[in-house]
Amino acid sequence: MAALGVSQSTARELLRPEVLSRLKNLDLVARSVVEGFLIGLHRSPKFGFSQEFAEYRSYNEGDDPRFIDWNVYARSEKMVIKRFLGETNSHLMLLLDASASMGFGGPPVTKLRYAQFLAASLAFLASKQHDAVGCMVFDEEVRDYRAPSSRSGKLQSVLHCIDSAEARTGTRFDKPFDKFREQISRRGLVAMISDFYCDIDKLLDGVRPLAWQGQDVVLFQILDEQELDPEFQSNVLLEDLETGEAVEVAPEFMRDAYPQRIRAHIESLSRAAKGVGADHVLVKTGDSLDQALRNYLLFRQRRQ
Amino acid sequence: MSFIAPLFLLGVLGVAMPFWLHRLQTQSSDRKPFSSAMLLETTEQQVHVQKKLKYLVLLALRAALLVFIALAFAKPLWMNPETLPGPGPDGTHLVLVDTSASMSRDGAFEQAISLARQAVDAAPDGAMLQVFVASTAVREASELSADRGVHLAALQGIAPDPSRLDFGQVMTAIDRLAETMPPPVTLHFVSDFQDSGLPARFADMVASQITSLHVHAPSTRPAVNWSAEAIRETADGVDVVVSGIGGDDMATGVELSLNGTAVGTREISGSGTTVLSFAGLVLEPGDNQVQVEITANDDLGMDNRRYHVMRNTPPAPIPLLTLNRSGLPVTYLSAALHSDPDNAFRIETAVIGEFDTRTLSRYSWLIIDDVGAVGPELEASLLEFVQKGGGLLAFAGQRIATAMRIPVSGHSIRPASTTAGDDQFLSIGQVDSGHPLLSGTDGWYAVNLSQTIPIETHPDDDVLVRLENDEAFVIERRLGQGRMLLVAGGLENQWNDLPIRPVFVSFMIEAARYLSGIEQVATAFDAGATLPLSLVGGVSGQVVDPDGRTVLSLADTTRAQRIELHKTGFYEVYTSQGDYVVAVNTDPRESELAAIAPETMQRWVAAMSAAVEPGETLAFEQEAEPFELWHALLLILALVLIGESMLANTHLTLRTSGGSN
Repeated sequence: MAALGVSQSTARELLRPEVLSRLKNLDLVARSVVEGFLIGLHRSPKFGFSQEFAEYRSYNEGDDPRFIDWNVYARSEKMVIKRFLGETNSHLMLLLDASASMGFGGPPVTKLRYAQFLAASLAFLASKQHDAVGCMVFDEEVRDYRAPSSRSGKLQSVLHCIDSAEARTGTRFDKPFDKFREQISRRGLVAMISDFYCDIDKLLDGVRPLAWQGQDVVLFQILDEQELDPEFQSNVLLEDLETGEAVEVAPEFMRDAYPQRIRAHIESLSRAAKGVGADHVLVKTGDSLDQALRNYLLFRQRRQ
Repeated sequence: MSFIAPLFLLGVLGVAMPFWLHRLQTQSSDRKPFSSAMLLETTEQQVHVQKKLKYLVLLALRAALLVFIALAFAKPLWMNPETLPGPGPDGTHLVLVDTSASMSRDGAFEQAISLARQAVDAAPDGAMLQVFVASTAVREASELSADRGVHLAALQGIAPDPSRLDFGQVMTAIDRLAETMPPPVTLHFVSDFQDSGLPARFADMVASQITSLHVHAPSTRPAVNWSAEAIRETADGVDVVVSGIGGDDMATGVELSLNGTAVGTREISGSGTTVLSFAGLVLEPGDNQVQVEITANDDLGMDNRRYHVMRNTPPAPIPLLTLNRSGLPVTYLSAALHSDPDNAFRIETAVIGEFDTRTLSRYSWLIIDDVGAVGPELEASLLEFVQKGGGLLAFAGQRIATAMRIPVSGHSIRPASTTAGDDQFLSIGQVDSGHPLLSGTDGWYAVNLSQTIPIETHPDDDVLVRLENDEAFVIERRLGQGRMLLVAGGLENQWNDLPIRPVFVSFMIEAARYLSGIEQVATAFDAGATLPLSLVGGVSGQVVDPDGRTVLSLADTTRAQRIELHKTGFYEVYTSQGDYVVAVNTDPRESELAAIAPETMQRWVAAMSAAVEPGETLAFEQEAEPFELWHALLLILALVLIGESMLANTHLTLRTSGGSN
C-alpha cells in the first residue's frame, strides 16, 4: 500500500464503481481495486494471501527442495517446508460476455464496464498470486482470446483484451465453452462474467463438460438495479438491446411481476450452477468490487 | 337551431387536428432500451383499455373544445318552443282600433276606445291579447301577451290621425300577422266602418287566418260635415271645391289664405258640392302656400282645412341652336316645351355661327335641331360643355346625311342611309320603357319614318329607341359628367312625322327634365303617404314639418330617406337640388262619413266565419325571439377547457416522470 500511497479509507473509496468509472486506465482500476481490497483483507482473520506465511510442514520426499526453509534447518537440523496461504499454482480463465445486453445500465457504469472492472481486478489479483491468467471476450462469437499465462507482462495483454471489449450483438454460450475446451485441458478456475439472459439449460450444456473436465467454474452474474427493481410510472415500450424486439409493458407489471420473474431466473441459475458443481455470484453494478473479489477468494479457497 | 354565420362552421374541420395529433401520439410511444425482453410480458389488455380510455377522453375533450369554439363563432340561435305562446283553447284575441281621420268625428274615438277596452276585458283569462291600430298602415300598440293591464294602458295612448284606412289593406296585414299567432285568432275590429274604406274587391277583406270577426262600431248621430275637397289653380287664382253633408239649414264661412295671409272669405250654406273662386292672387316667386279653412263647427274637424302649393317659378331658358330661326324645328320644339304644364322651360333661339359659346355656362342643357350644322369650334365648345356636366339634345337632320361622323358625340355614320321603300314607312320596333326618359312617354309605335341616319352605336351607348330594322333611333351617350341625347332623324317633318305626333310633346318634356337634372316633384300628398328624398352629393336634405320641427336628425340627412307625412299642412323640404314645399291633406274619402251597408257588414262577418271552420287547426309557424346560444357555449367551452387542461396535465406529468427513469 505504500506503493500506492493511499490510506485505507481512500482505498475503500476506490472500490466504488462510480469512482472507478472516472479512471480511464483499466490497469490502474485493477490495481486500485485489488490494493484497496487487500488493505481491508489484512484486517480479516479469515483470509490470507499467497505471500503471507501459513505453516511449516515436514519435508517429504518429492517436495521441491527450493521451498525448504534453510534457516530452520540451521537452528533445528529439521527440514521443513514453508507454506504460504493461497498458493495453489493454478490458472484463471476469464470469460467476459460482451453482448449488447451488457451495454445496459448506468449511470455511473454499464454492466459491461462493471464486468470489465471485475475481470481486470480478478486478473490482477490472480496475477499477484502467481496464477496464470487468460481471457476470452465473446458475444455471438469469440471476439478476443488470450491464453492463460503467468509470465510477467502477460497481465497487460489480458487487461488490454478486457478493456477493448464492446457491447454488441447477441449472446451464445456454446461458442466460448467450445473454444475453451479446445484450448484448455489443464485444470483451473473459470470465471464467466455475464448477465446470463439465456436459456439456463443451454448454458448448462456448456458448463457441464467443463465441470467434468475438472475445471472450477464460477458464474458472476452482473445485473443493474433497473433490471432487478425497475421503476416506471406509465406504459413504456421496452426494446431488447440484442434482438430489437419491442414489448409494451405496464408499470404494474414492472413493479409486481417482473421482479419476481428476474429473481426466479436468478435462483434457477444459481440452482443449476450448483447442480453442475459451479458457483454463482450475483453482482450488482452498484456494489463495491470488494464483495465480488471476496466471493472469488472464498470460492478459490474452497477449491483448494 | 339555426346559424347566423354558417361559414364559421368550417372551423369544425379543425376537429381533425386532435385526431391527427393523437394518431401521432400513438405511433410515437415511448421506446426505451432494455437489456433483455425474455422476462417481459406484453401489457395486459385491461391496462391498454385504461390507457386508451384516458386518451379517448382527452381526444373527445379536445375535439369538443374545437367544436364549441366553432359553434361559438357561428353564433347558433335556439328557438325554444317552450317560450313561445303555444296553441291553446283560448287562442289569441286581437283588438284592432281604427285611427283614421274619420274616427276623429265628435265623440266617436272616445267610444271606440271604450269598446276596445270592453273587448280586452271580455277576452278569456288565458287568452293571448294584442292591440293594433290601423289607418294607412297597421301598427302594434302592445305586444302579444296575456297581461290585460298592458293592453289597457296601450289603448290610453291611441289617438286618431289624418290618414285614411282601407279595409282591404288592413285585413291583408292582419291576416299576415295572425299567421304567427296561437290559433284560434279572434279579431275585434273597432271602427266607424266607412263605406269609402271598402276595397275594390270584397275578397280582400276576408282574412283566412282569422277564426272569427267581431265588429264594434261607435254609435254616432247623423253627421254634419263640410270638407274642403280640392283646390284647383286657375289663370289668376284658385277654385276651391267645398262639399257639405247634413247641414242643410246651416251656413258657414270659407277663408282662403295665401302664404299665411287671409286673402278672401266666402259664405256657403246647405249641403252638396260648391265651387268657390278666388281670383287676383298675387303670387310670390317660388312656392306659395295656399290654405283653405272652413270655419264651421261640424262633426269632423280634420277635413276643414286644405292646403295647396302654387309654384311660381319662371321658366328656365333653353338655347335652341339652329340655322333658321323661322324653321319648322324651332316651331315644333317651342310648341312642345310650351305644353309643359309646369312651364319650366323657355326656348331661346340662337343661330349657329352667331351663338356666343361663352354663354354656355349659363345653361344646364341645350338643343340643336340639326347636328350636321355644328362646326369644329362649336363642337369643341359643346363637347367641353357636356363633359363638364351639361346636357345636349341633338337631332340628326338632313345636313348630317353626307357626313362621316356625328359632331360632339363622335358616332360614325355608315355610308348608306336607311331608307324605306317608295310606298312604305319604317316604324319604331323597340322602346326602352324602363328608362326614366321614356317611362312617361307613349305612342312611339305610331311614328312613321321614311329615312334615318344609320349610326354606328358604341357598346357603352344606351339605345333608347330602335327601329323595326334594329337601327338605333334615340341614343344616349355619356360624355364626361354630362350626357347627350341623339335622335337619328330631323325635325323638318320630311324624314319622319315625329314632330307632329303626341309622343313628341311628352318626349320633349321628359327630355327637358332628364337633361336638366330636375325631377318632377309632387307638391300634394295625402296624409300617411311617404315623401322620397334621394341622396345627392352625400346628403338627402332636411324636412320641416307643419309644426316647424325638423324631421331628420343630422345623421339621417346623410342617408336616402322616405319621410312619412303624418301631419296635415305644409312640409318644407330642403335638398341639394333645391328647396320646395309640399302640401299634405286628409284624404277626401275620409270626409265621406257614410257607413258600410248593414248587409255588406253581415256578409263580411259571415265570410270571415266561413273562412275557417270551427275547430279547424290553422297552420301555425312558430317564430319567437331566438336565444343566442353562444353565451352558453362559452360557459361550456370554459368547462371543457379546464377539463382538457387537467387531463392533459396529468398525461404530461406521467410522461415527465417516466422519462426520468
